[in-house]
Amino acid sequence: MLSHLRGTFCVLSAGVQRAWSSSSCLFMDPSSPGLVLQSQSTDVFQNLALEDWIDAHVDLQQRSILLLWRNRPAVVIGRHQNPWAECSLPAMRSAQVPVARRRSGGGTVYHDLGNLNLTFFASKKAYDRRRNLKVVTDALRRVRPQLDVQATDRLDILLNGQYKISGTASRLSRKSSYHHCTLLHSADRSAIATLLRPSCPGIRSNATPSVPSPVANLTDHAPSLQWEELLEAVVQQYSSEFGLTSASRCVDPADEVLFPGIGSMEAELCSWEWTFGKTPKFRVETQLELRDEQPVARCSAELQLEVKNGLVETCRVEVPAAWLPERLSASLAQALLGERFCPHRAAAALSTLLRCESGPLHGRLRNLCDVLVAAMG
Amino acid sequence: MAMRAALRCLSVNFSPRLPQLSSAAQVSATRLLCRSGAPRTLSTTSDQCTALKFTKKHEWVLVESGIGTVGISNYAQEALGDVVYCGLPEVGQKLEQLEEFGALESVKAASELYSPLTGEVTAINTELAENPGLVNKSCYADGWLIKMTIEKPEELDKLMDQPAYDKFIKSLEE
Repeated sequence: MLSHLRGTFCVLSAGVQRAWSSSSCLFMDPSSPGLVLQSQSTDVFQNLALEDWIDAHVDLQQRSILLLWRNRPAVVIGRHQNPWAECSLPAMRSAQVPVARRRSGGGTVYHDLGNLNLTFFASKKAYDRRRNLKVVTDALRRVRPQLDVQATDRLDILLNGQYKISGTASRLSRKSSYHHCTLLHSADRSAIATLLRPSCPGIRSNATPSVPSPVANLTDHAPSLQWEELLEAVVQQYSSEFGLTSASRCVDPADEVLFPGIGSMEAELCSWEWTFGKTPKFRVETQLELRDEQPVARCSAELQLEVKNGLVETCRVEVPAAWLPERLSASLAQALLGERFCPHRAAAALSTLLRCESGPLHGRLRNLCDVLVAAMG
Repeated sequence: MAMRAALRCLSVNFSPRLPQLSSAAQVSATRLLCRSGAPRTLSTTSDQCTALKFTKKHEWVLVESGIGTVGISNYAQEALGDVVYCGLPEVGQKLEQLEEFGALESVKAASELYSPLTGEVTAINTELAENPGLVNKSCYADGWLIKMTIEKPEELDKLMDQPAYDKFIKSLEE
């Protein structure tokens, strides 16, 4: 169980924790060419905003930063991915697990408090993902020499040559870079299976796909490895690899004084426009199974839609004319145009149409609406 | 950082092992871009093609009849590695010089694209949706990214020409 987790995971150095009155104190301290930061927040949007903030505001030409963070349960998709293809939005709504789109590339991952995130910030010149991953594998081997951990060509870290315990993604921006990776200490693997599957059938997309891999937690193979022990090992290894002597520091990403403007970065990351609206254009092509109860009858119909910027751009609903007059299925399709690709929006748009149509076809029309809404994830 | 250590770095370390497109090859690429129908000689009048201009972010611009075609240089495509996705703007989007207008995702990272000029997007290369690798295979021709209007021609004058860009790359490798 996750009983070893504590409310905060700031590892205090020997000595007093300094209060940072402004970011310039924290980031311009000449005595520290490198810095290890630990986020106090477990909110995925606040932590992603903190990465954005550091990337945009800190001069990384002369220093490197390691940021350690973890999140309450969340699914994080890559910059150019399709959230409907990568995760089950209905299952996530039930479980109250948010989806976040990060700015780096790569595939989809599940985060919870048993997963450690490491972000290595550096100048573009100093960008070296293998060196960063070596920090992680060396740290693990130091605390548990029996662990067989290796970075692959894809820059995953595998345990026993088989199980993925870490995945990598990165971003190159104006002057700097960051490389971040996950590290599975004690995450809830059953959640991965439930949440990381498509929201609806028939998605055809050229968004960057995920490469699914069997995963394991470090604690499956090294049950005595404590969270704090892992953090300490990583911090020490980073310091020795990069020649730093400063201790790690806790930061609060909700602190606007320390990180001016971070609130609006967080707001952008939470927004529908970023999370869903940035999805590359995709099609949905699927068969709909229709039924009538009085008398009992069944029928198959075809749905084809194109979604651009998260909105329904084109929609065709092909229902045999004997089941429903073409004018009705055509007006359903029409009602969805321009709406967000979302079951709630679809239901609202279609309910207006349903109200206008009474008479013997109402039952079949309602069934078609229900089936259409269900096809929207 | 010692030169050796710098050379070991991935990605933005622009490996000198692979040869860059030679200047001669770049000039013929220019001719390829200028060709609108039957082959014709390269003209230097302002309403015809001008030579490639480069930004410090390793993008090139080629102007033809007042429209700039934008792509990334050979140096940049080598540094990026295999491009797997091109995130491009919409036609009609207005861009300021140096504004982020999209991103290229490669096996190495997601890299932002910065507009070389101020203007409006008139076309995007839709081939890249199915075939993002064109950016690597043909960065000066079929791998073009966007076309845009040129609101401030003086911005173009400040960009590097071929010899200046070659010199700039050399200075980065040192």
